[in-house]
Amino acid sequence: MENEQNNPLKEFAPQLERTTMQGYTWILFLLLVIGVGFYAFLQQVLHGHEVTGMRDNVVWGVYIVNFIFFMGVSYAGALISGTLHLFKTPWRKPVIRMAEFITVISLLIGPCFILLCIGRLDRLPYLVLFGRIQSPITWDVIAISTDIFGCFIFLYLAVLRDLALLRDYELLKLPKWRKKLYKALALGYTGTPEQQQRLNRATDIMAAMVISIAIIVYSVLAWIFSVTLQPGWHSTIFGPYFVIAAVYSGSAVLIICMWVFRKVYHLEAYITKKHFVAVGIIMLVLAAFFGYFTFSDYLTKWYGSEKNDELLIQLLFKKFYWPFIISNYVGVLLPLIVVGLARFRTINNITFTAVVVVVALWLNRYIIVVPTLESPYLPIQDARPEWLNYTATWVEWSLTATGVAVFCLLFTLASKFITIIPVSGVTGEEKKEDVLI
Amino acid sequence: MKRIFAFALLLSLMSVLVLKPAGSYAGEKPDTTATPVESRMQLAYLCGADSVILTATLNLKKEDGTVNLKNAFIEFSASNGESAKSLGKFATDQEGNAICKAPVAGLPADKDGMINYTAKFTGNKKYPAAEASFKAKPARIRLSFSIQDSLRILKVDVTQKNLKGETAPIAKEKILVYIPRIFSLLKIGEITLDDAGSGTLEFPKEIVGDTLGNLTVLAKIEENDNFGNVQGQNVINWGVHKQYYKAEVPSRELWTPIAPLWMIITLIIMLAGVWAHYMYAVYELIMIKRLSKREKPPLF
Amino acid sequence: MEEETNKNQKNTRRQFLKKGLIAGAGVAVGGSLIAAYVDATATETGEKVKVLTTDGEIMEVDKGLLKLPRVSREESHQGLPGRKFVMVIDLGKCKNARKCVEACQKGHHLPKSQEFMKVYLLQDSEKTSPYWFPKPCFHCDNPLCVSVCPVGATYKRSDGIVLIDNERCIGCKFCMTGCPYSTRVFAWKHYEEFEQDKEPYSPEAGSPGKEGTVSKCDFCPDLIRVGKVPYCVSACPMGVIYFGDVDEDTVTNGTETFQFSKLISDRAGYRYLEVLGTRPCVYYLPPVERQFEVDRGFGDLDEKIKERYKDTPYSKKHNP
Repeated sequence: MENEQNNPLKEFAPQLERTTMQGYTWILFLLLVIGVGFYAFLQQVLHGHEVTGMRDNVVWGVYIVNFIFFMGVSYAGALISGTLHLFKTPWRKPVIRMAEFITVISLLIGPCFILLCIGRLDRLPYLVLFGRIQSPITWDVIAISTDIFGCFIFLYLAVLRDLALLRDYELLKLPKWRKKLYKALALGYTGTPEQQQRLNRATDIMAAMVISIAIIVYSVLAWIFSVTLQPGWHSTIFGPYFVIAAVYSGSAVLIICMWVFRKVYHLEAYITKKHFVAVGIIMLVLAAFFGYFTFSDYLTKWYGSEKNDELLIQLLFKKFYWPFIISNYVGVLLPLIVVGLARFRTINNITFTAVVVVVALWLNRYIIVVPTLESPYLPIQDARPEWLNYTATWVEWSLTATGVAVFCLLFTLASKFITIIPVSGVTGEEKKEDVLI
Repeated sequence: MKRIFAFALLLSLMSVLVLKPAGSYAGEKPDTTATPVESRMQLAYLCGADSVILTATLNLKKEDGTVNLKNAFIEFSASNGESAKSLGKFATDQEGNAICKAPVAGLPADKDGMINYTAKFTGNKKYPAAEASFKAKPARIRLSFSIQDSLRILKVDVTQKNLKGETAPIAKEKILVYIPRIFSLLKIGEITLDDAGSGTLEFPKEIVGDTLGNLTVLAKIEENDNFGNVQGQNVINWGVHKQYYKAEVPSRELWTPIAPLWMIITLIIMLAGVWAHYMYAVYELIMIKRLSKREKPPLF
Repeated sequence: MEEETNKNQKNTRRQFLKKGLIAGAGVAVGGSLIAAYVDATATETGEKVKVLTTDGEIMEVDKGLLKLPRVSREESHQGLPGRKFVMVIDLGKCKNARKCVEACQKGHHLPKSQEFMKVYLLQDSEKTSPYWFPKPCFHCDNPLCVSVCPVGATYKRSDGIVLIDNERCIGCKFCMTGCPYSTRVFAWKHYEEFEQDKEPYSPEAGSPGKEGTVSKCDFCPDLIRVGKVPYCVSACPMGVIYFGDVDEDTVTNGTETFQFSKLISDRAGYRYLEVLGTRPCVYYLPPVERQFEVDRGFGDLDEKIKERYKDTPYSKKHNP
């Protein structure tokens, strides 16, 4: 039983075995938020989309913003985890599992928001039955479903070694069904050279796949906007812009997750400042790219000052002044300063920046979607005054909160099922830092 | 003018033509609603080559509005004040219109050649009777086409029967020339008849006909005190050959039901590529599972 | 005002006479135009439905007697053979009487909050003159709304009409963002008006609408099929809107009939936002030789409707 004593799982076992009082309260709180969201959803089903703030001009609102946001976070997870894996980045281990979880979980939530935006949920099968290949929505349906499969396979490959460890660790105090589940999921993986070789090969291929699919899928999502003729959307830069914004938001979400799990599961020994700075630097680079793309997009609109572009920019600088400033100034400059200057680089500072970046990017999507719809080619006239401007209603906010709550809940549950840090390959004889970092 | 229509419910009929028809029924069922009902009828007259077309429009004025009466039988007749000739009974459609087409020959005319046409709804338990009449003299318009000095000329000859029953020209009347189109008549000119009852019009160019250039041309006397509405028609291939619409720029055709080939091919290649890799990954997983069965566990 | 009413009535009378004659001509030419309305087989079902009478009143009529020929969903995908419809709107004559809007709403059983036809008060730049701009669907020949529809719920027919199948539409609203002319409307909830029409659904009839789907101006294909012009065309007291077949080169507003090509070339007709490449089937005649001052458009408006124009540059300048 020497093996058992040195099993790295020993240290992580409590995470899986016990849920603290605080943990239960947290889950209860999330369920409450989800419950309210469910009530809101019921309202929408019963009374129609009139309960939202969307009207004939602004036909897409917070739902679509959330959709873009969660999909963005998801692709970012895929890109980051895929890249870290492929390049065998030395410090990747403590954060890579989180990135994979982020990918899959937000990928499950994102599409739900587009469903909320659809008027006839009962006709959803038509998307497959009568799908038209010319429509970017069809591209999106195909791309997202492909992406979901890919990300699940990738996640599964990545956790297979750990599942085998969990199966084999007999001291684990878990109910029988959990052990059975681990056994079934571990596929009889025992780490023979051939199994290892096959697993590595499959993982490498899937890492490459998720990276490329993430780029394609997020570009397709951007094209939903840019193929239309709307002044604010009809832009060739939107594909790469959305991809960059997505990875950017994902890196920020990853930092927040690192901070939370470090605190909750006391992983200070594994997730160190080094990791925060490393992911922070990724965020910094992406911030620069994001700033560059944003600037390019608005510069060309502003410089040429076509009539409708001008109206849009006026709207952005008047009605949407603060969202615009926060998303495109604060959201770009803060990481550059905090991560860029060595003396500001603390774990808390980087995490705070990440929170600001997440908010900024959500707002960024909001000012892409809403102001454009509020400044169409034909001025909004001859419409009911109460239909002129978009303000999200409590239903939309509640469902947004539900999205975040489901994200947190699934993440919490996932971390109860599998260690949040990959443990395979770690043995007690070696120093944690040497192996992990 | 007032002779053309017995009743001129102008606004209401105008809206009959505008709104979706609301039919009512002239069946035998007793009226359940006790609102007083008033039937109203109008009679429109058109004299063709050798027949007249009478259109009677019947509608009901109720307290709460006006509706067309459908399936009501209208009796048409022609008379000269002394003897009358029945032209038959016709049911109204949902617009309240009953249409009667009768040959001109043999209709009783008075000493001025005028024929009095009557449309009569006898009424039933539910709806009261209504009647309208109209007086006109039959006339005939002939159209002929010729090319003179490379000009295309349309000639009309308009005649009536005189007191002796001989054919005589109609002089000095105004003739309007039209091309019938899907929703209306396109006016292409006016002719004022000379003493011999004929007149000419230089036929305009660039009038679109059918694909062979055929055009139906109508010449009409409208709202005339003696003749009412008279119409003659003929067909000539002086029209521009109809070209069916083509987009002025070759369309990218993304709106058609079938996607462009490049799009389908790209999609198939991409999906096949991606899913092949997925399959490969799944295959590796299956192999891992098989390997474990073959070499029974070193660990347990 | 009095004078104008008289004039209107005269116009109406004149229009009526013309229409009566046109109907007669139809018979003489081939009978096809009239014959299409005749439905001698309709029988009384005993079920009463409320309909709008010719006086604009609601009254109860037997359901079986209400039929305009309504084609099936499959048939409605085919255009009228050999036709290509076109609309011409004479901006010089529009005074925002809104009869087109009202007739359209009544004809399509639209709830008060849905309008297929909208009337804008446009002013291209500060020094240029403002004008009223009625805007139906442009039924573009390169319709982006159709391109982006994921389920083929909106489609373009051979006669140029872009229709929506409300039983196919999933309500994603992509077409609404795709349309650069803000033409489409969404049913944000179930409206009572949708129930007025009990006939089997046909995309051609456009109603009853369905909750959670998109609808828009449809050029009234059910009327066209029986040889009538759309509701807005016949309702306009000024004869602003012309409609016809572009292959036949003829348009009519119900009173006057013109050669389309001649009208467009004489009056410098244009299409709105040609630069977008959508190739609309609706042409505009520039607002020259105005029959009414722009201000007249506010004349008889309901306060609530007036309110809708309060943010236009014109209103801001003239009614501070």
